[in-house]
Amino acid sequence: MHIPDGFLDTKTIVATSILSVSALGISLHRLKKQILPHQIPLVGLAAAFVFVAQMLNFPVIGGTSGHIIGSVLAAVLLGPNAAILIMTTVLVVQCFLFADGGVLSLGANILNMGIIGTLVGYSIYRSLARLIPTDRGRLVAIAFASWCSTVLASIFCAGELVWSGIASWQIAFPAMANIHMLIGIGEALITTIVFTAILKTKPEFLHQSFTVNLSLTSREIIIYGAIVIMGLLIFVSPFISELPDGLETVAHQIGFDRNAVGQPLFPSPLADYQLPGMSIPAVATIFVGFIGAVIVFGGSFLLARFLIPNKK
Amino acid sequence: MRHDFIDRYSRIESPVHQLSTGFKVSAAIILILCTILLPIHSYGYFILISICLIGVSIISRIPAKYLLSRLIILEPFVLGVSILSLFQPKGEIIFVTILVKSSICLYTIILLTNTTPFSKILDWLKVIHIPSLFVTILALMYRYIFVLIDDAERMERARASRSFSTNKRQIWKIRAMMIGQIFIRSIERADRIYSAMRARGWK
Amino acid sequence: MSSAIEVKNLQYEYHDGTKALRGISFNIAEGECVGVIGPNGAGKSTLLLHLNGILPAASKVDQSVKVMGQEITNESRGIIHQMVGLLFQNPDDQLFCPTVFEDVAFGPQQFGKSPEDINQIVFDALEHVGLAGYEHRSPHHLSGGEKQRVCLAGVLACKPKVLVLDEPTKDLDPRGKRELKSLLQSIPSTKIIASHDLELIVELCPRTIVLDKGELIADGFTVDLLRNGELMLTHGLEIPHCLRHLHPHN
Ligand SMILES: Nc1ncnc2c1ncn2[C@@H]1O[C@H](COP(=O)(O)OP(=O)(O)OP(=O)(O)O)[C@@H](O)[C@H]1O
Ligand SMILES: [Mg+2]
Repeated sequence: MHIPDGFLDTKTIVATSILSVSALGISLHRLKKQILPHQIPLVGLAAAFVFVAQMLNFPVIGGTSGHIIGSVLAAVLLGPNAAILIMTTVLVVQCFLFADGGVLSLGANILNMGIIGTLVGYSIYRSLARLIPTDRGRLVAIAFASWCSTVLASIFCAGELVWSGIASWQIAFPAMANIHMLIGIGEALITTIVFTAILKTKPEFLHQSFTVNLSLTSREIIIYGAIVIMGLLIFVSPFISELPDGLETVAHQIGFDRNAVGQPLFPSPLADYQLPGMSIPAVATIFVGFIGAVIVFGGSFLLARFLIPNKK
Repeated sequence: MRHDFIDRYSRIESPVHQLSTGFKVSAAIILILCTILLPIHSYGYFILISICLIGVSIISRIPAKYLLSRLIILEPFVLGVSILSLFQPKGEIIFVTILVKSSICLYTIILLTNTTPFSKILDWLKVIHIPSLFVTILALMYRYIFVLIDDAERMERARASRSFSTNKRQIWKIRAMMIGQIFIRSIERADRIYSAMRARGWK
Repeated sequence: MSSAIEVKNLQYEYHDGTKALRGISFNIAEGECVGVIGPNGAGKSTLLLHLNGILPAASKVDQSVKVMGQEITNESRGIIHQMVGLLFQNPDDQLFCPTVFEDVAFGPQQFGKSPEDINQIVFDALEHVGLAGYEHRSPHHLSGGEKQRVCLAGVLACKPKVLVLDEPTKDLDPRGKRELKSLLQSIPSTKIIASHDLELIVELCPRTIVLDKGELIADGFTVDLLRNGELMLTHGLEIPHCLRHLHPHN
């Protein structure tokens, strides 16, 4: 999901950079106030940890493999303020050490994975974990939050590409979202197993009051919330608003297609996608997304039961 | 997972390596910005920029084979995203342009990262007044990436010597447990690092 | 001579309940060089961490640690850190900066030296450990022995009055060990060395303290203690080769 340079146009670069820098500024400001001296090396090491965790490959189908992003993991372990900082440093090092992700796209990459992924994932985790206040409930919350955070980050990524005019929403959104609904399952699975391993071997770390501000103050919630909503308004909503139209045209198209006898026998595959009425993929993706969310949520319970079995 | 591949050539001697970090980073950013801003049909400029980049790589004395292999490793990401642009009106032109533009940008960063050690970039961040907490954490992180990679490698080797399973489910579970283990070791190490910092007067 | 280090009834318990030190007392005079030996987990590292004020000393009423006559309290910790240079067991924990220069300069910077002084101090310290010209290397490109010597340079750069070394010869090749020995011999300050390298202790330290399970087992002349086969065996140690042929029947 690391966007290289050359894809985003100037307005997207500027918008994403402004949003990222402001969120990062807040998290740094808050951390500087709250962090205890001994937690500075801890945050640095946690950042190195996320970096290395991203380097570990998990085999998927065939010869392909994937890795985790770790934004929810970082947020759950060290709190959202530290997590934003951690994910940002990871992306900066990947950019300047590996050339992974562009320099001018850094703002966008930080926004997607470091800020949206972290904040939204963390909010979902907190609300769910409060609903089910047991260790098992935490696992459910982590699994679901990881999935949502991955999918949402990918939707933002798609939105930025579309905003830059290099792809159409009808293509970029389904392509990114559908793939990441699958990738998100991996993220959820790994994050949950990792968390269970930490829960089993070092419970005191998770239970002791870790004071790099695990919770957000109401002022932070307002500011961070504003940043997330601004992002949504800029990069996602312009295209979502086309959807009612899309639905209409889907219906229209079904009727239209019935009459479409005089069309060429072998249309070029690309021409197909250029039809104005091709909103089916985007609409279907949202539908699939809802079903996927329900399934992942149910699956999270099974996973949590499996990882923390009933003691009898 | 040997880690010397990460910054193998960033410390060799060449006129490019000796340039100041601020200059190199600004030059790279300006070059990337120009590439992005250039309209689709400015092929002449793209060729000009490419010739400049090739010139710089020759002066930098980094083996061309190495630079190219980095480019090829990273190119699939570029290609993957570019393909999205095919599915829209005049998509073919956008596809080609995007591919050319992003490859130029990518190569620029590859050149930058391989002629500038990360520690120099850290110094430069301090010079341009990036908040010190951020630079400190970045520096600690950069330092310990290598230690953690070594750690992970040792764990992986120890595991491999004791298991014969190539079952995917098993590998997933083991890798995930390993990530958990790396985290626990990291927080314990953080405590010891804090002691070492305090022992030399850090407050 | 006045005492450099004065430890009285020192006890320490880790958070998880491990009793690492159970009432240890000893005195070390200025300029002395003392070895600390004992099996794994004896509490050597824990003891050394107390001498520099990293671990709290004043947690119990009847115990105290004094350095150069000054008790370690929360107020005096800053001065104690400067007076006592501590070399940690694991070089990777101690080398936390991205370049060798920054690492060696870290201590002097904390103690408020000027940039010109720092340059000179770093240059001298690296020269002293035989690593002149390594300023701009990164720690992850160094060998184990080089890392160890950079750590020592970092400690020496603080100009401590007392040197406390935890396993200084770990990861060193025989030549490195020889060089380190002569390096340490050339430093006149008080030295406390914890090590499993008993030959090193015999050569450098006239006096030795034996620890086991957090207790002080013996304190005396190195040659006497290390030649005592029974003492060595019961505490997981052995008579070093260099002393063995002196008393073959022991
Ligand atoms: N951070 C810690 N938390 C809990 N227990 C600890 C910690 N560090 C050390 N211990 C325990 O304290 C005891 C003394 O450990 P210490 O590291 O001082 O031994 P040592 O003599 O230096 O051993 P070695 O020769 O292996 O270095 C051991 O039983 C060890 O398990
Ligand atoms: Mg020890």
